[in-house]
Amino acid sequence: MEMNSLPNGNSTPSTPPVPTTTSPPSSKVGQLAESLRLEHQFLRVPFEHYKKTIRANHRVVEKEMSSVISGVSDAADRDDLSSDEAVNHLNSLVSRLQGLKRKLEEGSRVEHLQAQRCRARLDHLESADAENLSEWNNMRLKRILVDYMLRMSYYDTAVKLAESSNIQDLVDIDVFQEAKKVIDALQNKEVAPALAWCADNKSRLKKSRSKFEFQLRLQEFVELVRAENNLRAITYARKYLAPWGSTHMKELQRVFVTLAYKSTTECATYKVLFEPTQWDHLVDLFKQEFCKLYGMTLEPLLNIYLQAGLSALKTPYCYEDDCTKEDPLSQESFRKLALPLPYSKQHHSKLVCYITKELMDTENPPQVLPNGYVYSTKALEEMAKKNDGKITCPRTGFVCNYKDLVKAYIS
Amino acid sequence: MELNTIKDAFDRVVKKQKLSSSKSHEVIDHVGQEIEQALAKFLSTHDSTSSIDQKSILAELKLKLNAISPVQQFEGSQKELNQNLSKYPKLLERSFNPDISKAYRNVDFDFHIVNQIIANHFYQQGLFDLGDSIIYEAGEHEATVLKSQFLEMYQILESMRVKNLEPALNWVSANREKLKQNGSHLELKLHSLQYMEILQNGTQADALNYAKTYLAPFAFLYKEEIMKLMGCLAFRGRLASSPYSELMSPTHWEKSTDELIQQFCRLLGQSCKSPLSVAITAGFEGLPTLLKLANVMAAKKQEWQAMKQLPVPVELSKEYQFHSIFVCPVSRDQGSEENPPMLMPCLHVLCKQSIMKLSKSSTRTFKCPYCPAEASVAQCRQLYF
Ligand SMILES: [Zn+2]
Repeated sequence: MEMNSLPNGNSTPSTPPVPTTTSPPSSKVGQLAESLRLEHQFLRVPFEHYKKTIRANHRVVEKEMSSVISGVSDAADRDDLSSDEAVNHLNSLVSRLQGLKRKLEEGSRVEHLQAQRCRARLDHLESADAENLSEWNNMRLKRILVDYMLRMSYYDTAVKLAESSNIQDLVDIDVFQEAKKVIDALQNKEVAPALAWCADNKSRLKKSRSKFEFQLRLQEFVELVRAENNLRAITYARKYLAPWGSTHMKELQRVFVTLAYKSTTECATYKVLFEPTQWDHLVDLFKQEFCKLYGMTLEPLLNIYLQAGLSALKTPYCYEDDCTKEDPLSQESFRKLALPLPYSKQHHSKLVCYITKELMDTENPPQVLPNGYVYSTKALEEMAKKNDGKITCPRTGFVCNYKDLVKAYIS
Repeated sequence: MELNTIKDAFDRVVKKQKLSSSKSHEVIDHVGQEIEQALAKFLSTHDSTSSIDQKSILAELKLKLNAISPVQQFEGSQKELNQNLSKYPKLLERSFNPDISKAYRNVDFDFHIVNQIIANHFYQQGLFDLGDSIIYEAGEHEATVLKSQFLEMYQILESMRVKNLEPALNWVSANREKLKQNGSHLELKLHSLQYMEILQNGTQADALNYAKTYLAPFAFLYKEEIMKLMGCLAFRGRLASSPYSELMSPTHWEKSTDELIQQFCRLLGQSCKSPLSVAITAGFEGLPTLLKLANVMAAKKQEWQAMKQLPVPVELSKEYQFHSIFVCPVSRDQGSEENPPMLMPCLHVLCKQSIMKLSKSSTRTFKCPYCPAEASVAQCRQLYF
């Protein structure tokens, strides 16, 4: 049981007045550090992008160089090469190398920009401190809004917001451009860009046991069946679906059965495979794989923070008619979003003055009117000063004198 | 979290990448030089070259290139870079919270509502382009009602910025009664600003006329303010060095603008702070605690998705405390209509159920758990926060 507040009123036994203690001010610095630890994605995404560029550039260099080397050794091994032909051949290899150097330089330029972006984000995290926190959080909200818009494919608004706030380096618009191509194509029922994306990221998708490519292949197969192109469907299945047989037999069998039906089948198990929503499902699946690959959360950051905030703010009082307008949960839209979320919990009383909306604590203790209504000392003192010591209860109209009030002790 | 360590680690990655890139250049140059040398040999001996010589030049070049083994050289420099490329993300995972969605509940989070909230957030800040843009791109059918209302507010503010008070005064007089109920003196403040403008830029007669028409009705309620304003007439032309110079301060414009925003939002039934930004910044503060909680509950295999109340408090800063929550210090129950807080004669407060327990259902007097005072149920009274 806690004993951190004791009475010192006139109607009580003679216990010595003990000043109530407030909990030590929660360390703002510690809180900020905790809050910054949430920013993993902010640093991870541009780094993954950077890494990807480095790897891709490297592959180009290796490939070109290998073919130059084999070009020389092919020429050396041939007996029928004329002198002019040999000279021409070598010249073409020299210009190929020059082309490679240009590509390498262009690649380095992109790498450099991406490294700068990673840097800018580190600097931005470092710039947060207790003094500029509200401004910094404002920026943070903008970043989170851009993240939401990009994930929802509201690209134009995302770009506008980023440009007007001058935060292009702090958001991942160019990363999502890559996603946009694939998503747009899937929405047009084209799988080629998605398959190309899978090929680009083959090893990582394999590592995470992704089914995405398999699903794309299934869809292509279903489309062939829909077009009643059964022979091609079978050839396609042999080539592209069979390799997945060891791990995805059940799904394979289910799809093969569609060969026996037509796209007009009424059998629910197979009908669903022909639904246009299958394509939406592919888009969702792609978005998930894409986010995983870049180290992003699967949910938009906005939803995550909004849920956390609403849960921390949610009390039974929020849903009452007299809920203060300052509380986001006074609004119908926020109330709806918060409906399935848990209520917050308090271990200690937190009392807010009805008049000033300020917290009533030891510095501004609560005082009780004879009618049982409680207001902060600050508010009541102010009211008494203006009205010759008279106090009028704003909720009931009850009138009394300032000296009739008693301090309540709430632990 | 040590940002400096992370920065150093990142610098190492960049350094290795540059090293690897210049190595690539070097190797390409080297290979290029060898090929050009071979070319030079061809050309210098062009006329007399027999096919035997030609073959030996190419064979020599092939040998030389094999000796350089460019692809292996690339791989060597890439290896070190690769190590750093895979180390850095691991460092990030250790230093940060790699998955902040662990505290997320998989509930229906209606994105139409979220889109409307975002649009309103932009409208409230006067960013009408952005608001319209998201409504359009998201295919939401109607722009929100708030748009036209905030549009009106920003038109008023824009006029005020160029010292045109007419729209503001029109709005104030249309809402005179409500403003009065809110205890706002905005109308007087705006007229004062207008009067001071005329006093500085117009004729004395204009200023006097304005005062007669617009300030006089306030003379009864705001004696002192009006006296000061009229006093200014005596110092027209040299107000800056007068006792009333303070009235010329631009802060009066700023304050009135702020008050107009506040009152405008209030009459709309809106907060003047964007509710989205309030909810999200509460999330910034609250999420670390929720993530710890989610981890603990996952370790204990407890259900995260379905709980009705969080099992621990999430401490937020003062400004997010919108409601009085009474927690009984004895039972730890939150006060409610059925179980309200009660004030004992010693001025300690417990919830009703705790008092009923202590008094054995009001059959006897009892000792306060926090002080030696005795009390009976009849002496206790309900509190309203
Ligand atoms: Zn007591």
